[in-house]
Amino acid sequence: MSGIKQSPGLYKIVVTHYVAAAFCFLVLSVMMLFSVKAFTGHYFHPQILAITHMAALGWGTMIILGASYQLIPVVLETELYSEKLAWISFALFVPGLITLVYSFWVFVPGIHMQCGAILLLLAVLVFTVNVYLTAKKKKQETIQEDFIFSACICLCLTVALGVALVFNFTVSIFPQDQLHFLKLHAHMGLIGWFLLMLIGVSSKLVPMFLVSSYQNTKLLTYSYYLIVGALLYFLVDSYLYGLSLRTYLIFAIGAAGLTCYFIFILKCLRSRLRKHIDLPMMNSFLSFILLKIATLTVPFIIYFHLKNNPVTIRFSMIYGEFMLMGWITALILGQTFKTLPFIVWVKHYEHLTGKFKTPMPADLFADNLLKAQTVSYLIFCLTFMPGCYLLFLPLIYIGIAALMVTAMLYLSNIFIVLFHKTITYGKL
Amino acid sequence: MASFDITDPNSFLKEQMMETLRLVMDPELHINIIDLGLVYGIEIEAPKKRVKVEMTLSSSYCPMGESIVSAVKNCIEGHYEGYEATVDLVWEPVWSYDSITDEGKRLLGL
Repeated sequence: MSGIKQSPGLYKIVVTHYVAAAFCFLVLSVMMLFSVKAFTGHYFHPQILAITHMAALGWGTMIILGASYQLIPVVLETELYSEKLAWISFALFVPGLITLVYSFWVFVPGIHMQCGAILLLLAVLVFTVNVYLTAKKKKQETIQEDFIFSACICLCLTVALGVALVFNFTVSIFPQDQLHFLKLHAHMGLIGWFLLMLIGVSSKLVPMFLVSSYQNTKLLTYSYYLIVGALLYFLVDSYLYGLSLRTYLIFAIGAAGLTCYFIFILKCLRSRLRKHIDLPMMNSFLSFILLKIATLTVPFIIYFHLKNNPVTIRFSMIYGEFMLMGWITALILGQTFKTLPFIVWVKHYEHLTGKFKTPMPADLFADNLLKAQTVSYLIFCLTFMPGCYLLFLPLIYIGIAALMVTAMLYLSNIFIVLFHKTITYGKL
Repeated sequence: MASFDITDPNSFLKEQMMETLRLVMDPELHINIIDLGLVYGIEIEAPKKRVKVEMTLSSSYCPMGESIVSAVKNCIEGHYEGYEATVDLVWEPVWSYDSITDEGKRLLGL
């Protein structure tokens, strides 16, 4: 007998992470509302640092950790090593996140900020050990496993460097200035953690949800080596020499890796058996477009940086916004309604299927709310990002208001799914 | 896809059970498991009232695997009183897109 058996314990872990992430998303949008002016300045600003960490950790990482406990067993085709470790990781992560974000917001780089950072480091280490021991149970190696495990290592390194940067505020650890290491910290997180993890998981899930006949993983292998190669090259080169003309070459290598992944997705899309693409999947495809836009801003960042033009800071802000609030957010907003309804549906209907006519997983969320959420999110993208680029406050305000609506609709829809009551439509 | 032997005394019941299994839907695709080509065969031990369904899943660790298997058992036991159903998941032959019936392809809009 095969197939992943969902235990009540696993259900609680996954759902807790989803709910915590949804609340963080709402808090994030409120934090943004109180920091509108900060979006027109430098990214090394207390409120921007707090917002970035809330977005990257409370929103993006929190939901990825939760979804991982459900999806990594699917992707790696084995059961999760330990539910207890998952809870320990969560219990360390939440206080760490709150302490760190608050310390950044008020900018007191003392013991609280340091404790928050250490708690987060312990949380991600426990998560990585859990993933490693889960993967170890499996005999056959896949490229998805390489993506996921490399992502976990990058997450640990990102947070470890983050801890060092936090300590560097009070104890001089690094000879160079903070911004030099911030670049490395940000890219290890964005490319090493988010990109590798999301490619690893989506390369298994997208073909599964589209019922695609494309099975070849050669493109994913190229993608993996090109992206990891570019990241390592960037980290070493940028650490030693800062940005230079070589950075264009590094960008080209990384972009080639990303292109391989996009071609893979395109091939899955073309060979899909399921012709109808639902709204959650549409959100996911929107996220790929936003990722492409983010990537296209990189040559401008390098160009203006090499010319010592301060416009580079504005492009860096736009890049970060497209990555965190564009690509990652759009992907989460869509994939939540592909994964969560399934998790809840299994709990309510597994024992009833075949006996009674039951709702399908897609019937568990409110379709109208999801449509409204997609529209408000699109308004956010179309106003906030241009507003930040043009330094036009009214557009930024409209964008953040739209994001708050998106967060409220998202949270409401999550609760609709979670509080679903079992119903049947008569015997089969 | 299962085939039927006219000389088998249970062939009519097998065919009936296959038809009944059309009630089991894949929760993601909204298509029944027979037209998806997931069911390879049915064995019936009439005197003991036991049914063994040999089937596969579209992927070995399909997240909905447990639900589909449970639905197959529920469906047989609910429609054929006194019968006890077991499901034998097999991975050979591997399920492929060619396993989908013409009706399944039509339902998928192919």
